[in-house]
Amino acid sequence: MSATVFRHVLRQQRMRLLVVVAALTGWGTLMPIVYATFGVQMQDIVRQFPALQQFMRFGGGDLFTLSGSIAVGYIHPIAIALLAVFAIAFPLSGVAGERQRGTLEIVLARPVSRRSYYVTLLVAAILFIGLSVAATLIGTVIAAAAVNVLDQLKLENMTLLWLNGVLLYFAIAAIAFAASVSFDRMGPAAGVALAIVLVAYTLEIIGSLWPDAEWLQPYSLFHYLQPDLVLREGLQLFDTALLLVVGGAAVIYALIVFPRRDLAAPT
Amino acid sequence: MAVIETKGLTKHYGTGRFPPRHRHETVRALHELTVSVEEGEIFGFLGPNGAGKTTMIRLLLGLIHPTSGSARVLGHDIVDGSIAIRAATGYLPGGIVLYDTLTGEQMLDYLGRLYGRPTSLRADVADRLEMSARTLKRPVRDYSRGMRQKIGIIQALQHDPDLAILDEPTEGLDPLMQRAFYDLLDERRKAGRTCFFSSHVLSEVERLCDRVAIIRAGEMVALSNVPELLARRKRHVEMRLAGEPPALHGVTGVTNIVVRPGHLSCELEGDVRPFLAAIYSAAITDLTIEPARLEEAFLEYYADEDAAELAAAAHLVGAAQ
Repeated sequence: MSATVFRHVLRQQRMRLLVVVAALTGWGTLMPIVYATFGVQMQDIVRQFPALQQFMRFGGGDLFTLSGSIAVGYIHPIAIALLAVFAIAFPLSGVAGERQRGTLEIVLARPVSRRSYYVTLLVAAILFIGLSVAATLIGTVIAAAAVNVLDQLKLENMTLLWLNGVLLYFAIAAIAFAASVSFDRMGPAAGVALAIVLVAYTLEIIGSLWPDAEWLQPYSLFHYLQPDLVLREGLQLFDTALLLVVGGAAVIYALIVFPRRDLAAPT
Repeated sequence: MAVIETKGLTKHYGTGRFPPRHRHETVRALHELTVSVEEGEIFGFLGPNGAGKTTMIRLLLGLIHPTSGSARVLGHDIVDGSIAIRAATGYLPGGIVLYDTLTGEQMLDYLGRLYGRPTSLRADVADRLEMSARTLKRPVRDYSRGMRQKIGIIQALQHDPDLAILDEPTEGLDPLMQRAFYDLLDERRKAGRTCFFSSHVLSEVERLCDRVAIIRAGEMVALSNVPELLARRKRHVEMRLAGEPPALHGVTGVTNIVVRPGHLSCELEGDVRPFLAAIYSAAITDLTIEPARLEEAFLEYYADEDAAELAAAAHLVGAAQ
């Protein structure tokens, strides 16, 4: 790992990090407020329409419990889009983007190994993801306290939820990095990474909304982040292990492929 | 001591692709290049666009991997010791791209810190290239092309590298800055530092380099020191005459003699003394001997049609493999 590259990345990303952390903190406050304001009232309405009940299970969440509301917030496209800034966009621009712009070669012409460069970016991505997920949870805790529902949360499980969330986005970031080190241009790398993430997300959402398609969910990475379950029962070991294995495999792939690739002159 | 030493260095692009491409798409960028660059030498690597100059530089820095052959830079193998090579090398890529959000100073700080060596030459090189402290505090995005090139040169030399590898270093520099840059390289040579640079500006190669290699379609077609290369060139001679033309037929080194009333032209190659002896008593009113230029030597390797066809044929390896 290169401390100089790490400091450079922190400097380059600090404003982006501030914006994402602020946005996710705000997003995190919404779930307890929505739950406390509308959850109980909506429950009576939804019970009258069985079709709506399944719809309320969006992404494995449940708007009628606090932990379920938090789960909906976690799997919501807005939260995923914000976290994708560091789980997808950052890995793609960090290698394939720098390669395409031509700035990668002036760094790699220094005594910095490609593995060291990759590990530095990966550590930075994990740090940014960790801060972003933490911001969401901090927003949630503050809002839960403000609307007097904090007693419905097992605070000790919030840390485990943070860990589960970080692992999911670590796995996604590792896949995006694997795509990024495999291509000389952003387009193909972004295509591969986004295709994997979008397919995984679609499988999870379809499976959560349509009982006949539930069998699709285990094929989605997003299925292995179950905030509702983690908040109620603690960390799910299988989910944790699977996310670690997927992320680890992508990291190993990148560590093997990146140093062996030819970095021909940018076109 | 050889600072750069390559043996049969070969690079083919398009091998090992998945899915495999048609065999005719394999590009032979560099083929069995064997060359040695000595310490304290300014070595010019000449060739037109696509000849393999940049491929050679990227191989030396470990940015790409050789298909076959080997090379050592500063005593380190380019495959196993590329980190050590890069630690002692300054590199200016062709058409350098910088981080637009940084100032020139931040850019130089960042790139300098990556070497882990003091940037002892920065102030001097920046001063010579007229990059003031005030200019360096401006964002790179505000820089002109020439200023970016100056930053590129400063970042390549600021840590006083043992070897400078410069790809088209004077691109975008005005004539004054080009001269300042030439002076810089002269001083580095006097300090025993080595410089390997690629260029297609033949006048600067002729002015600066101790030796040059000319590369065509990935193959080295000439390797010589500049005076030797020029000595082999034919110089064009024009003379105005007040009387009979001198008898030049059969004089050593004189060819292509054309005589018109009051005028004679010919080509002169090698030792000039037989020629001078032959014209000594002629009634010459004006005499011009154009100096041999590297450009002519360079063009000779590219001008003839056979060479062009060879180059085109050699570009694609497929059929031969």
